[in-house]
Amino acid sequence: MTESALDRTARALDLVPYLLEHQGISVAELAQVFGVSEKQINSDLILIHMCGLPGYTPLELIEMYYEDGYVTVSDPQSLNKPRKMNRTEITSLLVSLDLLKSTRSDRIAEEVETLKTKLRKSLSFENPYVVVANSKNSDLVEQIELAITKANALEIVYLSGSKDQSTERLILPLELYQQNNFTYLKAWCQTSEGERTFRLDRFVSLKISDANRISYTRNEKLIAPQLANIELIVSKQARNFIEENRGIIANLVEGEAIQVTLHPIDLDWLARTILGYGSSIRVVGPKQLAEDITTRAKAIRQLYPISK
Amino acid sequence: MSDRKTERLINLTLALLATKRYLKKSEILTNVQGYEGSQDAKERMFERDKDDLRSLGIEIEVGDLDVFFEDEPGYRIPQKSYELNVPDLTGRELALLSVASNFWNDSILAPNAQSGIRKLQSLGIPASLDFEFRMKYRFENPSELLELISKAILQKSRISFAYDSASLKTRHLEPYRIVFWNSYWYLIGMDIDRKAIRLFKLSRFQGSVEISKKKNEFNIPTDFDVSQHLPKEDVEIIRTAVVEIRKDSGALFRRRGKQIAEGVEFDTYEIDYENERAFLREILWHGENIRLVEPQALKEQLLILIDGILT
Repeated sequence: MTESALDRTARALDLVPYLLEHQGISVAELAQVFGVSEKQINSDLILIHMCGLPGYTPLELIEMYYEDGYVTVSDPQSLNKPRKMNRTEITSLLVSLDLLKSTRSDRIAEEVETLKTKLRKSLSFENPYVVVANSKNSDLVEQIELAITKANALEIVYLSGSKDQSTERLILPLELYQQNNFTYLKAWCQTSEGERTFRLDRFVSLKISDANRISYTRNEKLIAPQLANIELIVSKQARNFIEENRGIIANLVEGEAIQVTLHPIDLDWLARTILGYGSSIRVVGPKQLAEDITTRAKAIRQLYPISK
Repeated sequence: MSDRKTERLINLTLALLATKRYLKKSEILTNVQGYEGSQDAKERMFERDKDDLRSLGIEIEVGDLDVFFEDEPGYRIPQKSYELNVPDLTGRELALLSVASNFWNDSILAPNAQSGIRKLQSLGIPASLDFEFRMKYRFENPSELLELISKAILQKSRISFAYDSASLKTRHLEPYRIVFWNSYWYLIGMDIDRKAIRLFKLSRFQGSVEISKKKNEFNIPTDFDVSQHLPKEDVEIIRTAVVEIRKDSGALFRRRGKQIAEGVEFDTYEIDYENERAFLREILWHGENIRLVEPQALKEQLLILIDGILT
């Protein structure tokens, strides 16, 4: 897809003042900051280099130096200040701040409010977005964040979500995130020697470990590759299932019912979850999963001998 | 081709920004690099370029030059209207904004947040410190509907859209606000047919949104408050169930409930629940390790689910 001249102009107008404040920045970093390829940045720089003020002698052109992949601007001509933010830029930032606020303590929340007032003043208009904070913030968050930063290992007691057991584990915390109103921690679990995701509300206890037994090297392949080609037919009554599990859905075809293909995932967890949806979720494959669910359903049925 | 146009647009911006006085059109067409061809072609080019720059949000001021050039308008870009200016923005606040903008991951709002941050970072404010925030937000990716709907909200135009609820129906709405809540995006507004304020989940919109051509068709009530119209899950009546939990299992339930009896194979617990369906899913998740004793009505629902699987 070729980019419009307008998009490119917008980027060029933003590049010059950015360079002015980031003298000697590498092309690679610029590419990352502006979200385009290095090749694109290079061709932008060449283009900008030819622009300037009427007269267009070297004195009037935008002057910059480019050496070994590093860029310096010595004369930006009239492009010495960034452009105003547009409506979508400023709303995106305001919504971001609201999200941040919803995950943070009161002190940060206050700072965010001050900042929002400043931003609004610089560009006043109606904001069509509202963020409603809701999550009960776990007080573990700040402890874990610190541990991630310092690469501290943690000793935890955890109520497993997929096996119905409480376990002691040694973990190296990697990433914290909120999803569907829960806070999750992705971590390397030394105890099971793999990457695992933990829900913060299931932590029984947590403490910084001085253990030096972590043998962690990041390897995406380690994330539970159990079985591929899980296919389900989900009726619209069970739409919840889809909304709550977007992260594991590989493909989705809407129709009378919804055909869903899942990424490889723990089958024990999946079987337990599907049980709760009764006939609204049917397993197309693998057969093993369908059989497992039936077996479990029969076992549950036996708990209720009298009622038919 | 695109190169030359880009170059011309940049040159035009630079020239109009650099000038204190208004530049005559003829001056622009002669002096700014890139205007080529017949007089007519140049003028058409200039008209298009002006529109293009304006579409980028750049304000081009048109003014009379002076008595000698009365019939020819002049142009310039006032620096004050062009430049970003956020008074008193501190380095700490800039750092806070950078952290916040990372929430968007790869969603449709990410490029906007990023370009906003880039501009702020070009102000010459040293970002003072990095926050140790590690929390990310993962949520349903907002669709391109967001932009369409926010446009309708801003110009107060009615919209219609197909919505998937019990049955697929076309809804007509005065859109008030887009709400991010519980990791989902919602639209809240006045349902014109139902004459009531309703909430719609964006992920259940089917197809696109049609925006009325008229503007200012409605006003958002001054006392409108989003929080009044969210489903009240929090105040749903809390009920108590009695369950039997098999020995050495059901750790989550045991933690939540209150033990009322101890048995050989099962222990009996009382557990509070709010949402029936969610509670049933939790019970069934535990398979044969949890048996629901009461309430009877809930037990019947549970059996419907199980028999649905077995038939």
